Amino acid sequence: MPVEHIDAILNDCLLAAGQGIGTEKSVDFDAVLWWRARYRKFFLHAITANGNSYETDRRRVTAVGRYLGQRALHHASASPSVDLRAASLASHDVETGCQMNAVREGLSPAAQHATA
Amino acid sequence: MNTEMTRQSIPPGPLAYGYDGPAAVAADEALAHEQAVDAILDDCFLSIGQGIGLRAALDFDAVLFVRDNFRPKFLAAMRHCGNRWLQDRTTVTAVGWMLGERAARYASGAPSINLDAIKKASADIERYCQLHATRRSGGRGRAGSEAATALIAGYWCTWDPKE
Repeated sequence: MPVEHIDAILNDCLLAAGQGIGTEKSVDFDAVLWWRARYRKFFLHAITANGNSYETDRRRVTAVGRYLGQRALHHASASPSVDLRAASLASHDVETGCQMNAVREGLSPAAQHATA
Repeated sequence: MNTEMTRQSIPPGPLAYGYDGPAAVAADEALAHEQAVDAILDDCFLSIGQGIGLRAALDFDAVLFVRDNFRPKFLAAMRHCGNRWLQDRTTVTAVGWMLGERAARYASGAPSINLDAIKKASADIERYCQLHATRRSGGRGRAGSEAATALIAGYWCTWDPKE
């Protein structure tokens, strides 16, 4: 899959986040823009550094996307919509989990340095 | 010696012909729309996901179909009406929920929504938008009236990209 597919990958992941949120609350546009900017940068970095393995990784990545949505819904419990604060707290939760998994599987830069 | 050049330090000079002419303004607008459309699509995909919920996944070729189907229509809508996303967002994302709901229904219990199901759901939604827009525009609503708002619900997905 070429790197130009980065926006389609983002579409796929945000759809998964929406699945996790469900129809209970709407999502503020600035939260969408924040997620988009953040994960576009991360994905682009990952693809440039490690090649595009999205087809192989998709099932796992979209599962994380759904979890991101569920965490955002949880953090938005007191708000009428999923706002920027809830989105960023959810990202923090998810990225902490991803980082721990990457270290465990020897995929993070820190782990690669340690084994190099 | 300070060689740093700031915006203020650039002397005003003659602009190349056409630099700020209508063609250049149109090109700037087209570029702005190109940059905006992907964020708008992300917003719509999120709402489609909300409509699907955790009932089923969506095949990646179905994701690509939705993107390839609606991206040119959104660009055409912006070319004709400007970028009104912030005004229209609530209405259009509600239609996104509906698209997700229809697609999940067409998948009828399958673990993943395939290309065929999303195509059927998209056709339903476009027909709905077209009918809704046509019926309400028959009321000749003024801008800001209920009829005008309903017309907006349709125009994002009913512009022919070739127009």
